[in-house]
Amino acid sequence: MMSDYDAIVVGAGNAGSAAAITMASKGLSVLLIDRSDPPGTKNLSGGVLWGNDLAKILPKWQSEAPLERFIQDKKIGFLTEKSSIIIDFKTKIFEENKVGHTVLRSKFDPWLAKKAKEAGATVIPGITVESLVKKDGKVIGVEESGDVVTSNVVILAEGINPRLAIEAGLRPPLQDWEVSVGVKEIIKLSPQKIEDRFNLSSTSGLASEYIMGNLGELNAGAFFYTNKDSISLGIVAPMERLRENGVIHTYDIIEQFKEHPSIAPLIDGGTVAEYGAHMIPEGGLEMVPQLFGDGYMIVGDSAGFGFSNGLVLQGMNYAFLSGILAGEAAVEAKSRNDFSSSSLSAYKRKLDNSYVLKDLRTFKDIRKVTNNKSMYTTYPKMLESILLEMLWERGQPKKKVREILGSCAADLNVGKLKTATDFYYMYRRM
Amino acid sequence: MLKIAVMIKQVPDSQDISIDPVTKTLNRSMARNVVNPPDVNATEAAIQLKDKYGGEITVITMGPPMADTALLQLMGMGADNGVLVTDRVFAGADTWPTGFTLASVADFLGGFDVIFCGEETTDSSTGHVGPGIAEFLGYEQATYVHKVEYENGFLIVVRDIEGAEETIKIGTPAVLTITLNANEPRNPTLKRKIDAYKKGIRLVTNKELQLDPACIGLKGSPTIVKDMKTVPDPIKNPSKPTIEELDKVVSVLIEKGVVK
Repeated sequence: MMSDYDAIVVGAGNAGSAAAITMASKGLSVLLIDRSDPPGTKNLSGGVLWGNDLAKILPKWQSEAPLERFIQDKKIGFLTEKSSIIIDFKTKIFEENKVGHTVLRSKFDPWLAKKAKEAGATVIPGITVESLVKKDGKVIGVEESGDVVTSNVVILAEGINPRLAIEAGLRPPLQDWEVSVGVKEIIKLSPQKIEDRFNLSSTSGLASEYIMGNLGELNAGAFFYTNKDSISLGIVAPMERLRENGVIHTYDIIEQFKEHPSIAPLIDGGTVAEYGAHMIPEGGLEMVPQLFGDGYMIVGDSAGFGFSNGLVLQGMNYAFLSGILAGEAAVEAKSRNDFSSSSLSAYKRKLDNSYVLKDLRTFKDIRKVTNNKSMYTTYPKMLESILLEMLWERGQPKKKVREILGSCAADLNVGKLKTATDFYYMYRRM
Repeated sequence: MLKIAVMIKQVPDSQDISIDPVTKTLNRSMARNVVNPPDVNATEAAIQLKDKYGGEITVITMGPPMADTALLQLMGMGADNGVLVTDRVFAGADTWPTGFTLASVADFLGGFDVIFCGEETTDSSTGHVGPGIAEFLGYEQATYVHKVEYENGFLIVVRDIEGAEETIKIGTPAVLTITLNANEPRNPTLKRKIDAYKKGIRLVTNKELQLDPACIGLKGSPTIVKDMKTVPDPIKNPSKPTIEELDKVVSVLIEKGVVK
């Protein structure tokens, strides 16, 4: 029996649309389905897009995509209750290359889905697929309202909580340790204010990421990005930590970020235009499921492709590349007219050779660092104490750095050995 | 077999719009476009009529090219054809040229037995366009309808008349405007949406319609918007009563014997 389509892609996010574009531009018949209308408008992420991979399928993305500001200024740092310790990296190299941009997904994703349509895919928004259809152990299509639409291969790009994949037994339900919760607000602020406040031009932007040393053992991070006429900010905390610490309302912790003395003045005069929350894959290699089988492949967040080391948080680039590679595997499978598991295993081989799985392998122990409570409780405070000792003239005899370190560690009740091992492992794993 | 049309409009989601205090225009930049909610009820009413008595449904909208998504959504519910009336010369129309243009389109498409509309749009709330179409075409009309039956060339409809219902029998061809929440609209299905996508939308411009430029778009619109104001929600922003006013309230309450 002939299938209705060569490929059905479930989910028009970065991974799904990238897969659809890759396949449709090579002449495959593609059906791309998304639950929201316009497609992708329910998607959410922090908002910094690194576009090297996107350039592979859409070379003109920088002039065509709805981008906000290119990242000229990248900050990483620690916040304590009263202080902020920031590394401010501003470079001409970012300006010359302009591959990192802030984006608003509610604008970007419909654009990307439109590109899939232009490439020849049938894009159907506003439909939630109910289940995968299997026959003799092979995935043969999708079902909705009692209708079955068939394809040679189904690409699951459902996002972080892949209901279809879970219900079809293609991956286990999500565990707390696999995900963080991101809570985000978009705060309207005039372009003039943004450019004055952050020392930006009309096209350049700032992306800051923080370790939240003022939220105790939640192991929370925070982000702060400038758009054209708004700020995207939010916090990210591991589900495990939230549950252990009895946090029920994540908006309480985003408020603590917004009220921090170094953040509050930056959003002064702004109004909250949107808010949202989303899960983020942070389980690393351990959460990556079987990525392909007879008639299916899993891409993007659904496959657990994300990277976080506490200070750097990325996912959209992994989504693009995994979508593209799955698309390529489908194109090759079509040329062989073989969509069996062994034929689609090309997808895994491509991933193995790409930075997607290489990164996850390289940083397979990173959770031991990002899970280390001292990273969020003790060390930001320690840094603060050291800087106070070194930079605050208050009529006391000055100490050598070694002495400062010793007394700060003693004040915070951390053993030197513990500190030494923590830093050793951080050095080894980060 | 009934020949049915549904006239619909894509509107900004009313939750997302505000009024720009300087330009006095609607700020729709943050707003997602949706099908005007009572138009979805109108489409459902049309589908129910078709299911019962047989027929063919054409959904029609006047708007920019991106309004095709609204038509595809309603075709996904069960409408058979989609017609998008799109041309720069139609832009800026108020309710008069809108009614005139849509009536002309209905005529251009050979006329209909029943034309469904929503009771009004959420972005202007005039309720003019449905009756306007009826008048321009010389059709019968019934407004604020929530139930429709068909019998030997006549429509038996139930109207909402603020606190009561009115059942009337009218002839065809007719225009019916359907109330918000008149029914529970069905969801579009994947299969129907794919069929709609394959079938496509018919585009109609003024090249085909040949309407007098003085009667369409901004030129044909007698309305001029002088001012727009955002009125603060009185419940969220109560003005503080003065002591004198409170005294007056208390004295009235004593007078009525509510308090002693």
